[in-house]
Order: sequence, then structure tokens, then C-alpha cells
Amino acid sequence: MSRMRLRGMGFVAPLLVVMAFAYVWPLWQATLNSLHPNTPQGIDAASWTLANFARLSDPLYTDVLLRTLRISLTVSAITALLVYPVALRLARTAPRWQPWIILAFVSPFLVNTVVKSFGWSLLLRGNGLVNSALEAVHLIDRPLHLMLNETGIIIALVPGHFMFVLLPLWSAVAGIDPALNWAAGTLGARRWQVFRHVILPITWPALVTGLVINFIMNMTAFAAPAILGGARTLVVSVLAYQVNLQQLDWPFGSAIAVALLAFTLALVGFGQKLAVWRR
Amino acid sequence: MTRTITGLMLAVMLAPIVLVVWMSFTPQAYFVLPFTEFSLRWYREALSYPGFIDGFALSAELAALAGATAVICAFLAAYGLTRYPLPGKAALLAFFTSPLLVPAVVFGIAMLQFVNRIGLYNRLIGLVLAHVVVVTPYAIRTLHTALAAVPEEMEWAAMALGAPRLRMLARITVPLCAHGLITAFLFCFLLSFSEVTMTIFMTGPALQTLPIRIYSYMSDRIDPMVAAVSSLVVLVSLLVVCALTLAGGLRRVLR
Repeated sequence: MSRMRLRGMGFVAPLLVVMAFAYVWPLWQATLNSLHPNTPQGIDAASWTLANFARLSDPLYTDVLLRTLRISLTVSAITALLVYPVALRLARTAPRWQPWIILAFVSPFLVNTVVKSFGWSLLLRGNGLVNSALEAVHLIDRPLHLMLNETGIIIALVPGHFMFVLLPLWSAVAGIDPALNWAAGTLGARRWQVFRHVILPITWPALVTGLVINFIMNMTAFAAPAILGGARTLVVSVLAYQVNLQQLDWPFGSAIAVALLAFTLALVGFGQKLAVWRR
Repeated sequence: MTRTITGLMLAVMLAPIVLVVWMSFTPQAYFVLPFTEFSLRWYREALSYPGFIDGFALSAELAALAGATAVICAFLAAYGLTRYPLPGKAALLAFFTSPLLVPAVVFGIAMLQFVNRIGLYNRLIGLVLAHVVVVTPYAIRTLHTALAAVPEEMEWAAMALGAPRLRMLARITVPLCAHGLITAFLFCFLLSFSEVTMTIFMTGPALQTLPIRIYSYMSDRIDPMVAAVSSLVVLVSLLVVCALTLAGGLRRVLR
């Protein structure tokens, strides 16, 4: 028996070694770095401090965090509103078309975010396609400010991270027994009531799981806020980039990383609780 | 109503990509719509711009190496997990898929400081390892399912007939889950090929992948050459995604 285990471990070992070396060690190292002070000579590994974490409470940084949370929450809320109609519609399409519809909804996710954000900048600029079109039909007199602010980031992130909610929800909706809808109908339920009392409770875990991932992706998106947010709309990921690669303050940079990771894991834990929550 | 919202959502998702491709055919030096003459001028310029050529070659090489490494390691690990009485199987599987929960920014910062510390900064191997970690969750999930679906009786039969385990793996197991291996590799390739956030944090000046080349070019100036090279990226991604869909695998990887 133990020889079988040993052989089994032999198969698992290569991946385990790669992951220990290139995943666990870097994260552990960053955690250690966040507990050392930064000096002009580099990281002072001999002394320990919590000052890097204390610095996070500076209004300079809490403002950035609040803005990031606001943007992420808005994106997730818009996504939650839009995702049900889409998932319900997709679950009703013929099975032979489904792979191609998945393709259409997933392929934007597989095109890199720099290219997509560049595309959004062409659409949202002052003289971009959206403003030109609105002016051409005389809906507006002067260009709307659609980018270099939070609006631009939100517009790009909603479709950018839509898939993370759509796919789990789609599976959940497709798994609903059609007889339930029918049964609710014969009992006189209106469409809204069917949604409220049948579809929503069944798909709730999938919705919550998807939204948590969506929210985390929003919190840590880089290219969209960097390209569409401009210098004044600083978010956490861009701040982390400046601290780590421009100011080269790695202890503070890793404090940001550790705090962000802790927040993410807490959110995932909360999401798991919320997913099984029943009124 | 659901039909309208679905259509609109799809349009919004595809709009930036379609616009980039459309703009790449402009004969002008700036972005104005509409234009009536189509030209390949910016494709010629993009294809003679060394930064983009190098970036493309690096991205393709990186994606191939990271995809292959992840698929091979994940295949072996999934085989061990599905065929042997290992302790803590669920924990191991959860560990291998856990990079999904680590934001790319966090892992990028950790990797930046790590590769600098151990002397792998600006070296391809560091970038490959980082990308392997990022794509492994998808590889392990796909291959775990694929291997669980291969009937063990076939493997037993081969070994009962005297095939050593490794030969049996190569002749029976690998062909039987070739589908899963191909899907996993294509998906990992694509994911690595389009990775931006983690890479931009850790990569060195000598190792600028294509998306990062485009990003730094854009912070300098924006002309239709960006649109042309972006369209080429879209084309590559689309070809791989179509291959994935024809292999019936997109849904399998993304479960």
C-alpha cells in the first residue's frame, strides 16, 4: 500500500515541485518582505516592522482603495442586473448553436486586455465613435466625458468580466427542470414570481460564486484602468505598479499585495457562506 | 426583452475588438471614421517594426513552453490523483487550482521580488514558471476530468498483457485522453499568450511580450499601427479559439 502511495506521489511530484518553487515561495517571500523596512540600500531583512501596513491607512491610499471598491461594486451590480436575461436566453437556444454562442461570449475574454482597452479608447474618446454618433443624431451638443474617469473603466470592465458570472449562471439555469417553471405557471405564478421564487433560489449559489470572482477581477484589473482611467483615476493595481516598479519600494509594495490577497481570500470565504445562505 | 439584452451585451463585448480590426485598415495616419479606401499600410509598418516582431516571437514561445510544461506536469499529477490511493487528494487538487483565487497583481508583485532575489530577473525561465502557475488550474481541472473518464480496465488489460506502466501510459492512456490534452494545451497557450497583468509586473526589459510591447508603445504614441498589430493578435486568438470550439473543448475547460 505504501509503495502504491509512493508511486502516486512520484506522478504528483513534478507539479508539486513547480508549484512550491514558483508559487508558494514567491508569495511567502513577498509576505516576509512586507514585514521589513525599506532603506536606500534596499530591504533591511534584519529588522521587522508593521509600518508598511500602517502606511496603508494614509488617506492618500484609502482614497485609492475606496475608488477601486466603488468601481468594482458598480461593475458587479451592473453585471448582476444584465446576466439573468442573457443566461435565461442562452439556456433556451438550440444545443447545436450553443458551442458557437459560448465562443462569441468567451472569445473577448481571450483577447488580451491591452487590445480591448485600446478598442474602448477609440470608442469612448472625446472625438471617438460613441460621441461622434451621438452628435450626428443631435442627442448631445458637446462630447460626453466617457473616459479618463471612472465611467470609462466601468464601461470596459462590465463586458470584460461578464463571462465569470455568465458561465456558472448559464450552467445553473440550464440545469433547472423545465417542469418547475411549468408547475409554477399552472399555480398561477407570473413571470416575475417564477423568477423570484423558482429561478433565483436555485441559481443563487452560482450567481454568488460568479459575482465574487467578478468582483475580485474588477478589483485587480490593470490595463483597463491604466489606459481608460488616466492619471487622476488611480486604482489599487496601478498604484501597486507605481510603488513596485517606479518607486521601487518593495516592502510597501508587498504590503499592498498581502493586504489585497487577504481581502480576496476573506471575500471568497464570505462568498461561500453567502452562496449557501437561505432566507 | 431577453433577446434584446443578449444581443446588446454581445455587441458591447465585441465592439472594441471589431473597431480595432476595422481601424487597422485605414489609409490615414490617425483614426477617423468613416474612411472609404482600405489599405494594408499599417500592417506593413507593424510587420517591419522590430519591437512587435520580437514581442510576437517571445509571446508565442512563452505560451508554447508554459502550456506544454503545465499540461505535462498536470497530466502526471492528475494521473497520480486519479489512479493511486494518495492521502489528501482533495487538498492537493484544491492547491493546484488555488492560483485562480490569487489576483494577477498580487502574484505579479510576488514574482517580481522573487525573480530578482534568486537571480532569474529578465530571464525566460522565470517568466515561463510564472505562466505555468497561472495556467495550471485550467490544465489540472481539464485533465483530471479527462483521466477520470478513461476506463481503468483498459490500463489494467495492457499491464496484464505485460506492458510496463510507462509504455501503457504512452500507448493507452495518452491516446484515450488526447482530446483533453489538446484542449488543455490550446487553452493554456491562449491564456498565457494574452496574459498582461502579472507579466507587466515581473518581466524585464529584454523580455517584453507582445501585449506589453503594445502597452508601452501606446503610452508613447497612438497610431493605426497599434490597431494593425492588435488585429493580428485578435486573429491568432480567434484561430486558437475556433480550434478549441471545433475540438468541442471550450465548455470543458471553463466548467
